[in-house]
Amino acid sequence: MFAQTKADDVKTFTLKNGMKFLVLEDISIPNANMYLFYKVGSRNEYPGITGLSHFFEHMMFNGAKKYGPKMFDQTMEFNGGANNAYTTQNVTVYTNWFPVSAMETIFDLEADRISSLSIDPKMVESERGVVLSERSTSLENSPWSMLGDALNATAFQEHPYHWTVIGYENDIKNWTKEDLEKYFKTYYAPNNCVVVVSGNVKVDNVKQLAEKYLANIPKGPEPKAVHLVEPPQTGERRVTVQKEVPTPYMMIGYHTPEAKHKDYYALSILSSIFSNGNSSRLYSSLVDKKQLATSVFTDFSESFDPNLFQFYMESAENVKEADLENAVYEEIEKIKKDGISAQELQKIKNQKLMEFYSQLETINGKSNNIGTYEVFFGDYRKMFDAPAEYSKVTAADVKRVANEYFKKSNRTVGILKTNVED
Amino acid sequence: MKTITNYIFSALTLIILSLSVNAQTKQAAFKVPAYEKFTLPNGLTVYLMEQHEVPVISISAILPAGAIYDGTRSGLASLTASGLQYGTKNYSKTKIEEELDFIGASLNTYASKESAGLSSKFASKDIDKVLPILKEILVDPIFDKDEFEKERKRVLTNLDQAKQSPRNVINSYWDKFIYGSHVYGNSLTGSQATVSKFSIDDLKNFYSSNYSPKGSAIAIAGDFNSKDMRARLETLFGSWKANGSAQANLAAQAVPAPSSTRILLVNKEDARETTFLIGGLGIRRDNPDFVAIEVVNTVFGGRFTSWLNDELRVNSGLTYGANSRFTPLKNSGTFAMSTFTANKTTEATIDKALQVLDSLHEKGFSDKTLASAKNYVKGQFPPRYETAGQLAGLLTQMFWYGFDESFINNFEKNVDGLTAQKSKEIINKYFPKDKLQFVVIGKSEEIRKIAEKYGTVVTKEIKADGF
Repeated sequence: MFAQTKADDVKTFTLKNGMKFLVLEDISIPNANMYLFYKVGSRNEYPGITGLSHFFEHMMFNGAKKYGPKMFDQTMEFNGGANNAYTTQNVTVYTNWFPVSAMETIFDLEADRISSLSIDPKMVESERGVVLSERSTSLENSPWSMLGDALNATAFQEHPYHWTVIGYENDIKNWTKEDLEKYFKTYYAPNNCVVVVSGNVKVDNVKQLAEKYLANIPKGPEPKAVHLVEPPQTGERRVTVQKEVPTPYMMIGYHTPEAKHKDYYALSILSSIFSNGNSSRLYSSLVDKKQLATSVFTDFSESFDPNLFQFYMESAENVKEADLENAVYEEIEKIKKDGISAQELQKIKNQKLMEFYSQLETINGKSNNIGTYEVFFGDYRKMFDAPAEYSKVTAADVKRVANEYFKKSNRTVGILKTNVED
Repeated sequence: MKTITNYIFSALTLIILSLSVNAQTKQAAFKVPAYEKFTLPNGLTVYLMEQHEVPVISISAILPAGAIYDGTRSGLASLTASGLQYGTKNYSKTKIEEELDFIGASLNTYASKESAGLSSKFASKDIDKVLPILKEILVDPIFDKDEFEKERKRVLTNLDQAKQSPRNVINSYWDKFIYGSHVYGNSLTGSQATVSKFSIDDLKNFYSSNYSPKGSAIAIAGDFNSKDMRARLETLFGSWKANGSAQANLAAQAVPAPSSTRILLVNKEDARETTFLIGGLGIRRDNPDFVAIEVVNTVFGGRFTSWLNDELRVNSGLTYGANSRFTPLKNSGTFAMSTFTANKTTEATIDKALQVLDSLHEKGFSDKTLASAKNYVKGQFPPRYETAGQLAGLLTQMFWYGFDESFINNFEKNVDGLTAQKSKEIINKYFPKDKLQFVVIGKSEEIRKIAEKYGTVVTKEIKADGF
């Protein structure tokens, strides 16, 4: 009865230049998408060029050999397509959404910018203004971005997760055309890219277009691996940020492992135990019963290198920061000492299954998740294995990872508030 | 990111509620899947649409209980909608949360300007657990006093927190400024002054006056059997009694058009950038030119290569993004250009936005421009109605705004039928040219003189209560 997607429905091929394709046919709407995952993000930068990965993402829309400035977007939209892109600490992802009739045009556009991007100095200058506005609007509208930046800068002292994805203001103003050209040569080789196509397409047709437009782009040398490793944290770190806010914002981050680590699934379950839904441990305790916070959430995401498991709290009014902070630790300690119940574990497993269904509901969810698993976990099949992987996690595993990672010496606490002088 | 998708385009989702069959000429036709519609004897309208791609069911309900019925108690519709989940006759709040969380089911109850809504998504195997809960939430809420007090405290804090972000509050200032004393000017969130005065009885009264099967609809899309579902719904909702008194049509009163250019300057002391909207009155949702207006707005401010974004972002680097949107409601609507820029480039950016609006009125569209916009609107259409949740939402919107199958079937024809001449008429008729209205949030000390250049300035402090 269910036309449910299985791992075997994803067809793969790799061009001779090393560009890997994952294709998933889906006839539910007359549209398709193409997601290109480049394995480059702010972790590949260094002081002086912080923010360059993200700036580069912008420059990829500013003209190449065949399609000059503005023509990438004009051509795509004329053919009924739309696009966006995003940059993270780990990857840069380009997303195209289009009626399937436009697919050959999309291949032509992507091939043009991957093979022969031109970096026009005039476009570089005007794009600096755009990115400075992007940086400023994010700081203007969200206290979290200011606090998150400070937390990362404190928790990471050697590893490149130390700086922000958007970059330092003075790096944005000062990098050069040569920096951009070098970045393009190093990271935008076809062998550093995974392409996912989902929608009302035929695999053979995708393959034929990929051969025609992309196979002749030469392979590049493997980019140099990021060699910086964050040394173990040996004591609690604290950071305070001033911004005028009605009530304080608080973040707590613990160093945790990368996506491929064996503890990934247990930590991901632990994050849901803490904050998924009103019956979760932290919502129920901090927001509902004790009324110390107006909201609480946690984040544990896939990452190439060990990163942070983060707690986010917006304080309720007239609450002592220490009370809020200690209430979080109290919930953490309960799990370290008593573990979680079988009922709780089953709840999260059920929730994970629903998340899995949601990922398969749209062609965009399919492409984004298939690509994410291929890039971060090394195999798109892991996406389809995820419900089984979560099923395998035991209550004892969850208790063990809580004890292993949630130690005082391993945490960084950040507080953003109006009055920082008291 | 290249663009802030959910910000730049979220406002468009309202206008892009139009839907299409045969959206693609060269592809297999995109059709709205078959659905069944019926009305229970108590007046509740029901839509059922089977979708079997994933073993999931999505529910969307719509009720005539939006902020337009708040009266002087601004924020009441919103708190009443959240209050539906404070417990029911047979389920405590905790029980509802535990039951639904355990099976990974989602549930939201919310109010918007005109209506209230419920949405839920769950695994199809859990239908016997979820439906009775949803029924009680809609039909038998008890509005627990202690839960209400806790929620009120959170809402009061959130009202202050929201003012930290111009993006979060500018639309509330805008609606108040444009609609004035009309019920559409009432802010959904309310203010400290109003929310702090509510009692639990206000919620109960609001519920009994405005929540009723008559005038409401429930749409279910997903993996189920329609015959079986119909029987369940008849049993569950059949006994829901319609309330006696009919609601007054408060929004029917006309909204006066602005008689002069006005500027509302909202001072935010620590602003490093200026956030603004410029525009005026727009269209009603049932405007016969709805689709043509969407195509024209696509060229002007509805996509990345639009004239506004091209001029303000791509050519000049003044902002990260600029767009324009119509926000249609049942009885009125607004139109606004929207962007933000650093304090020191405020004047250049406002001037440029006004120039682009002038050029819209002066220059017509070339055939190529028009063809591009038509392709774009048609090409981006099908993904809006891809999931069971989106389809359930669509059905309730059809119910609410009364658009029918002919409108649906004519979407592509209406897009394709737009001529250059007609687009000129659309611009003249629906895009304001003068007596523009401005809402500007920023650092008054640095931008007040600039604002005064454009017309009469009224100033508010962002920290002051309300909008």
